[in-house]
Amino acid sequence: MPTTIPIPRPSAAPQPTAAPDSLLEFRNIRVVYDNAIEAVRDVSIAVPEGGIVALLGSNGAGKSTLLKAMSGILYTEEGVIESGSIRFRGEDVHHLAPDELVRRGIVQVPEGRRVFASLTIEENLQMGGYTRSNAAARERRDKVFALFPRLHERRDQIAGYMSGGEQQMLAIGRALMTDPKLLALDEPSLGLAPLIIDRIYEVIVRLRDELKMTVLLVEQNAQRALDIADYGYILETGRVVLDGTARKLAANEDVQEFYLGVSSSGRKSLRDVKHYKRRKRWLS
Amino acid sequence: MQYFLQLLISGLAIGAIYGLIAMGFAVIYKSTGLVNFAQGEMTMITAYIAWTISTTVSGNVFVVAIGAILAAILLGLIIERVVMRPMLGEPVFATVMVTIGLAVILRSAINFIWDAYPHGLDVGMGRDIVRLGGIGVRTGQVAVIATLLTLLAAIWAFFRYSKIGVAMRAVAADDRTALLMGISATRVHALAWAASSVIAGIGGVFFALSYDLSPAMFQLGLKAFPATILGGLDAVLGSGIGGLLIGITENLAGGYVSSGMKEVAGFLMIIVVLMIRPFGIFGERDIERV
Ligand SMILES: Nc1ncnc2c1ncn2[C@@H]1O[C@H](COP(=O)(O)OP(=O)(O)OP(=O)(O)O)[C@@H](O)[C@H]1O
Ligand SMILES: [Mg+2]
Repeated sequence: MPTTIPIPRPSAAPQPTAAPDSLLEFRNIRVVYDNAIEAVRDVSIAVPEGGIVALLGSNGAGKSTLLKAMSGILYTEEGVIESGSIRFRGEDVHHLAPDELVRRGIVQVPEGRRVFASLTIEENLQMGGYTRSNAAARERRDKVFALFPRLHERRDQIAGYMSGGEQQMLAIGRALMTDPKLLALDEPSLGLAPLIIDRIYEVIVRLRDELKMTVLLVEQNAQRALDIADYGYILETGRVVLDGTARKLAANEDVQEFYLGVSSSGRKSLRDVKHYKRRKRWLS
Repeated sequence: MQYFLQLLISGLAIGAIYGLIAMGFAVIYKSTGLVNFAQGEMTMITAYIAWTISTTVSGNVFVVAIGAILAAILLGLIIERVVMRPMLGEPVFATVMVTIGLAVILRSAINFIWDAYPHGLDVGMGRDIVRLGGIGVRTGQVAVIATLLTLLAAIWAFFRYSKIGVAMRAVAADDRTALLMGISATRVHALAWAASSVIAGIGGVFFALSYDLSPAMFQLGLKAFPATILGGLDAVLGSGIGGLLIGITENLAGGYVSSGMKEVAGFLMIIVVLMIRPFGIFGERDIERV
């Protein structure tokens, strides 16, 4: 663990006074698991309406933890929000039950897709529409089928037998069934072939542009995410170490060195840079 | 042949009772991941309530049936709300211990609320003999087999076509992701406890109708549990069929080999089947989670 001299973050200053048009906002969130493991410390993230915000970081950075906090499911893993708040449309929501959060329009596509393997595609989608009326769910389902014709072709098939790419489409379709205002995706490109990732990313862009959906995109694959995102945050060991517009981040030397153009096997971390060097760069 | 059919029918009848209670086990296991060791006791309570209704309110079969079903729903909901829900998220071992404690409490409740003597449940039918293809069968036996088959079909349709039924399967498959879709696990659990209590309770009432009602009736749970292991702890329909298989095996072994074999035969079959299919004939899931 590097020394804990507070690192000034130039771009962090305007952030806590968040823009009023943020749809979703994490404010100084701190999450602890098992009363012992501090997974996220003092993180503030703003997701403006109608945009795509990328949340980047390597293994164990705390990305999924933030999404679990957002969905109100930390308690299933002995996790708690120790301090800070999560606001959605200007209201505190971090105390709400998971089903209430879904009703309000917050949903996530979890890491590893997690389709209901023993259910058919159609039943998976039906479960996405669980909180909606039957008529509304049917309408949504037709929209999802229009977005993913492949799902329509295989609607009666057992989800567990589908390919990884198809399962990712189903997981996204299932989340869309909840009729969300904010869609969070946890590493949607994980383990998929480049061509399939293209398809998934095309859909994410369409969701923003055509359906005016707000997207929080969690990725290790920084290149892809910054290509389509408007704004990005880089998380390391539970802290935001860098944030800025996607263009600015993509142009950043450190990000280029450690997140872009590095094969996943050889991925290093900003942590590995000598401390003085990091400090110098962020101050510059 | 006559003798064989007689044994078969009475095996199916007692097997149907085991099957109903076994389905009770499976419904709870499937949606909550727990083995409810108080299943036999809950079954017994429902049967006693049915008897009380028949002796105090009315002996009409419909009154008793509806009263018993409502009582079973209430019993399941109360136990889920008061005893099981506070245990949510606690280690499975602790939660299963709670069901064992509950079993002991319910067992002694029989002596407090009712008494320690055997009774007969009489709803004015079920004991008459009808002749079916040359053999005499009690109407209660026909009714319990028909009830089991009807419930098997109804439950199959419920899990396949109703939204809440599909949600129960989704919770069983992946409860955390179900939560992310806004499926309230507590509602699903409450429904599972109520449904389990009713299905098993029906078995208990039929038992009281065909045999007798006594504080030893909780032992039906000990008979039904192997049936659900045989059919598959996570397989509701499989558990019903498991009950039939055990009932038939027991009766045939008891009739053709010796009455001592009656107890053993069912377990022998279970051991052999589990060696070939460790998760039961229709089971899918790794059951080590118990
Ligand atoms: N249920 C849990 N109990 C205890 N610690 C946990 C739990 N879940 C996550 N952690 C810890 O919290 C930290 C952040 O984990 P998290 O899953 O949020 O990271 P991540 O950024 O999503 O990583 P990845 O890219 O590998 O998915 C890690 O150190 C992890 O070990
Ligand atoms: Mg993660």
